[in-house]
Amino acid sequence: MTELIQIVVGGIMQGSIFALLAMGFSLVYRVTGVINLAQGGFCTLGALLGFSMQSRLGLPPALAALGAVLVTSAFAALVGRVTFVPGLSRLTNSNMLMMSAGLLTLFEGLVLVVWGSQPYALPPFSGERPIAVAGLLLPTQGIWVMGVTFVIIVGLWYMLARTRLGQSLRACAENPTAARLVGVDVARMQLFSFVLAGAIGAVAGVVVGPAISLQFDTGRLLTISGFVAVAIGGIASFPGAIAGGLLLGLVGQLATAYVSSLFSNALALGLLLIVLIWRPSGLIRGAAGRRQDVRDEARVWTHVTRLSARTAWIGAFVLLVAGLVLPWVLDAGLLGALIITLILFITLIGLDVLMGYGGQISLGQAGFMAIGGYAAGYFTTAHDWPPVLAILAGIGISLVCAMILAGVTLRLRGLYMALATLAFGLLIDSCAIGFDDITGGPSGLVGIGDFDLFGFAFDTPLRMYYLVLGVVVLVLVAMAGAMRSGFGRALQAIRTDPLAAAALGVNVVGCKMAAFAISAVLASLAGSLYAFQFHFLSPDMVGTPRSLELVSMLVIGGEGTLLGPLLGSALLTVLPTAFQPLALYKTLASGVLLAGCSLYLPQGMFGALTRVLRR
Amino acid sequence: MMLELRDISAGYGSDAVLHGIGLGVGAGEIVTLIGANGAGKSTLAKTVSGLLSPLTGEIYFEGKRIDRLTTAARLKLGIAHVPEGRQIFAGMTVAENLALGTPRGADAEQLDWVCDLFPVLRERMESVAGNFSGGQQQMLAIGRGLMSRPRLLILDEPSLGLSPLLVSEIFTLIAGLRARGLSVLLAEQNARAALSIADRAYVIENGRVTLSGAASDLLHSPEIAARYLGVGVATAASADQSAAMAARLRQFAWDGV
Repeated sequence: MTELIQIVVGGIMQGSIFALLAMGFSLVYRVTGVINLAQGGFCTLGALLGFSMQSRLGLPPALAALGAVLVTSAFAALVGRVTFVPGLSRLTNSNMLMMSAGLLTLFEGLVLVVWGSQPYALPPFSGERPIAVAGLLLPTQGIWVMGVTFVIIVGLWYMLARTRLGQSLRACAENPTAARLVGVDVARMQLFSFVLAGAIGAVAGVVVGPAISLQFDTGRLLTISGFVAVAIGGIASFPGAIAGGLLLGLVGQLATAYVSSLFSNALALGLLLIVLIWRPSGLIRGAAGRRQDVRDEARVWTHVTRLSARTAWIGAFVLLVAGLVLPWVLDAGLLGALIITLILFITLIGLDVLMGYGGQISLGQAGFMAIGGYAAGYFTTAHDWPPVLAILAGIGISLVCAMILAGVTLRLRGLYMALATLAFGLLIDSCAIGFDDITGGPSGLVGIGDFDLFGFAFDTPLRMYYLVLGVVVLVLVAMAGAMRSGFGRALQAIRTDPLAAAALGVNVVGCKMAAFAISAVLASLAGSLYAFQFHFLSPDMVGTPRSLELVSMLVIGGEGTLLGPLLGSALLTVLPTAFQPLALYKTLASGVLLAGCSLYLPQGMFGALTRVLRR
Repeated sequence: MMLELRDISAGYGSDAVLHGIGLGVGAGEIVTLIGANGAGKSTLAKTVSGLLSPLTGEIYFEGKRIDRLTTAARLKLGIAHVPEGRQIFAGMTVAENLALGTPRGADAEQLDWVCDLFPVLRERMESVAGNFSGGQQQMLAIGRGLMSRPRLLILDEPSLGLSPLLVSEIFTLIAGLRARGLSVLLAEQNARAALSIADRAYVIENGRVTLSGAASDLLHSPEIAARYLGVGVATAASADQSAAMAARLRQFAWDGV
């Protein structure tokens, strides 16, 4: 019994962390209707700033904490003023989501440049020794977290429910036009909510930091936990955010204690998927009742400019020749990077069919890469299957997963679709770690052989390169045909207006399923090739960060175009290899690029290029 | 003139909906804009309140040029806009909706007056506004607009989606506001009801003022009757309705509201 209570208390402490993270999401969402993925970034920034102010500047802990929160808020104000608020009046909700992913990457990059990639262990506020209360051992930092969470909950509740400022914030959330009419400065409220969420994030970072191991990409994990918590609880309500956080913490601790720590994530994600399917808007519905299906319609519609036929043919010819000649002039490192570029490009083509043409968001594409990669690795090493058969098996499993996922998520659109795919990707992540008999667990699957086809082994980089190039050309030709056919047009019709498309006789469900299946097959194929290229596969090579990176590549390159993603893939893969000494700045640069592209080049680099060429 | 528009062109993006509009509203006057759906009435209302910036032209309010001011600044000068479709804060209570309408903070006296005007609001002060019927929401929207003690009230389609009885009730009320010294700019498709309470009217077609004059003259102009009053298909019921409204108006004058 004491053990159970101990676990529950631990769960509540853990849950307070999630609730604190979730409130930041909820605040920004309620005022602007946007999920701000950068939320976790504020935490890392706040925690490390506090640490440095204490250790470098020698400030007393309380002053350092205050300073960290103030500096982070000021930074949030700058970032919000330059990117977030202008974006709100210019971008669709899904592009805002992408931009906030860019901001998260930017924060990570910044932390990487300033603090490096090593993990930091921050000292707890009140010493390492836990307090014993009625036979329970309570870590002091956990008590701090719960206390701070409580104070922030009460403070936020008071501000929103009882003050004029809170009323104005809620007015913006409810009806921005009416808010302007009664004299509320909507843009200022939007900025304020962003900065306040940043401050809450920084506070969370400062108090949570000592309880976890902190490094540059911890923000990503915190973002995901907070996001999952808020999705379970209901994003449009504060009680929902708090309940979701606590529930997530409890489930995690109970699962760790009674099942396995490797599966604690999987259970939480299973919970999320069930909630998403059963009650997409979360356990507790917000009073505002923002209609997600309406809000997610494009506020801004830009059509994709295409190259003229002549330019396109010349371009294709030049690219093909370049593709054939390049390996002979590149050194080994760059050739490797080029192979990776092309493998990721295969995934991106599928993602583009789903996102660029079909208008859905998938944040779990690397999950299918993982399935393909582990299937290829496992069946060839453990069962000596021929590689082609192993690849096909991977594709088969991916297809089954995709159809199940599509089946349960088809009625979800926009934000919820993004959430469900994210949950799927995270679920695959934890399976990759949990099923260590098959996947090798966290340390990865080693000893994957070369790909061979009817006895011909692709055992040199050059052979592998031409294999991948061949696959890319085949896929491109097939997709170019498909996108010009009725299927491609139907997808674009669905993207523009699903209701109108259905009224015109387009089989909306069928087309969405097909797009999802195509993306899963291509990702799985790419995952297998990836495993054969590296002869090794670990969860972090095909985890959720990779999914987010894939989306970045697509947005930077240009959605809704076949070749755009190649630019994105090359930019984020080849350039860091080519400029190895600058690799430290890769994350920062890709964050700036992603945020900048979603703000200033909504059609990506390919779109910009096309416009220049068409002139 | 309290409000004066000079050569206003406005619209969405660079596409103009209004072309060279000139009009005015005098102190204590009810001026109505009549016109078909899409003629530009709402665009004009938004341009006056600052939700839209004019592409060309000038707007003066009590002698002060206001066309570059924010909505909030115009609200402080005394212009309140009750938009088309009511646009209340559906998830908030009546009390919160009304509180948001007072930019300078709580105003018990004005709240009292608004509640006298719309007793239903006083009865349901703590109810969530989204559960109200269309007519009650419209009353709340007007009440919220009045909370800022405006001198000019812009009403955009207050009769939209309301039953004939409620329409006459709302219009009676609007007529009563004039007695309090308020000026009203009323954009309305229901031309008969609008003309029967207005002092002057402007007819807007395709973003241009095509006709203007005293409301009573327009009400009896055969051209207006044919286009906007549906004479020829008018039923006995609508004639009764205007008679009933006239009776209520007279009563209002008695009450001295």
